[in-house]
Amino acid sequence: MKKTGFLYDERYQLHLTGDYHPEMPDRLPCIYRGIQEAGLLSRLIHIKARRADMKWIEMVHDGRYIMRFEAACLSGKSMFDSPDNQVCYDTYEAALLAVGGILDVVSRVMEGDLDNAFCAVRPPGHHAEVNKAMGFCYFNNVAIAARYLQNQWGIERVGIIDFDVHHGNGTQHIFEQDSTVFYYSIHEHPSFAYPGTGREFEIGNNSGHGFTKNSPVLPGQGDDEYKRLMQKDLIPAFDEFKPEVILVSVGFDAHADDDMSDMKLSTAGFSWIMQRIVELGRQHSKGRIISVLEGGYSLERLPELAANHVEILLNA
Amino acid sequence: MFVSRSMTRKVITVDSETPVIEAQELMADNSIRHLPVVDQNQQLVGIVTDRDIRSALPYNYLKDTCSEEQREQFCALPVKDIMTKDPLAISPTYTIQDALLLIQNSKVGALPVVDDNRRLEGIISVRDLLRAFINVLGIGEPGTLLCIIVKEEVGQLKKIVDAITAENVSFGSVLVARYWEEDKRAVFIYLLTQNVAHVKKKLDSLGFTLLDPMEWYLDQLPTNESSPEKKLTIDPP
Ligand SMILES: [Zn+2]
Repeated sequence: MKKTGFLYDERYQLHLTGDYHPEMPDRLPCIYRGIQEAGLLSRLIHIKARRADMKWIEMVHDGRYIMRFEAACLSGKSMFDSPDNQVCYDTYEAALLAVGGILDVVSRVMEGDLDNAFCAVRPPGHHAEVNKAMGFCYFNNVAIAARYLQNQWGIERVGIIDFDVHHGNGTQHIFEQDSTVFYYSIHEHPSFAYPGTGREFEIGNNSGHGFTKNSPVLPGQGDDEYKRLMQKDLIPAFDEFKPEVILVSVGFDAHADDDMSDMKLSTAGFSWIMQRIVELGRQHSKGRIISVLEGGYSLERLPELAANHVEILLNA
Repeated sequence: MFVSRSMTRKVITVDSETPVIEAQELMADNSIRHLPVVDQNQQLVGIVTDRDIRSALPYNYLKDTCSEEQREQFCALPVKDIMTKDPLAISPTYTIQDALLLIQNSKVGALPVVDDNRRLEGIISVRDLLRAFINVLGIGEPGTLLCIIVKEEVGQLKKIVDAITAENVSFGSVLVARYWEEDKRAVFIYLLTQNVAHVKKKLDSLGFTLLDPMEWYLDQLPTNESSPEKKLTIDPP
């Protein structure tokens, strides 16, 4: 059994999104309950959030953007940059705690206290751009973690795997000119789903050319197509890139019962994906896998999906 | 919607004595396919395309197996011998729609834009028109596309717009497609949001049919293949 960390903090529920918003605080207790009811909670190493040091956030985001975000929350605004991004007074604090918690987990993995970890954070991050909030995201959690791995821990090659049903435009843009961070995303085809990026021919620019890879999936597809594309696109690319650490943008919104997408992935399909990621981690990254929650909005399915996810990490 | 808004103004041109070989290099260096040919007064006298040049090349020129004589002949060949003289051109007050229809009908890839004295002001190519339509479709902005099938009757679009406006969602674009089923239209709405699940439910509860994305199309050929294409009669200025 692996030493698997579980970042969970009730303060992540302080970020309120108003009525009828799918990215709701209840998602996290659902995840917690699923893990608890599967009898896995006692096997995990529970980690509480802490605030991030601003210097790491500034390695990804524009300083003025961070100030704008803080001001929007503290001045009582209800949205930031778009009606999609509902904020409250505590949103900024929750976002700081999300980043800080993840960076703490990264340190523990690098120090060997943890083998791998699942970070159940809110707000999510993969749509957040350098100076723009998008798609319920404010700070790009995974991108900041990648920069932290490189600058604090001397890691040269970070591999990011994003299987949220939406393309992680923010993460892609942050690293698309960078050959030290490989970004792989599998998502619903951008002509049918938010945000409209992540086409097959987006493969990175300049020195980052060839270090971004996208597998767009057509509406209505499920396990078979995901398996085919990941075997064709992800596995050979990571076998060549050999990431020293793998960060995972975990989205559960490609599930057939999640109404945020047209995808038909089954619960077993999600497990298959995570198994492949764990194998890649074993081969190339000394098992160092840190997964970070993005989307996933079906409160009925989140418990089982989260439980399976951490179980695979525990048995990695 | 005037072409003057979308055309390329800094046009690379040649005069009619320019060697073809030089014209070819200009095109390659600037990644363009059309070179307007002008006189000293910047008046349009012709146009030469990459295709004209390719068909003018001796067939074995590229293989370096042509004779010295052939080679010299080709190098001396001026643009005026292969260009299209007095080509189709339009005025800056032509609209994008005019240009689209004209390009479709005349099967050219670009149209020079000239003033009343036929002095060159710009050029509009298929590429410029594509850029305009990428903008119209809203592809550059983050959002989600939905397709709603509506009966062809007054007031349908208003219902859709009202329902979505009530949800505080902005529109990136609205397209109404023709050539759908009889008496029906496909309304494509591009919503500037990730949050579409409840918009979909609401439209569903209002009795609208959301089309399966795998069934979407913006255009298809008319089913009646025998119907003659409408002939366009747009006279160049
Ligand atoms: Zn998502």
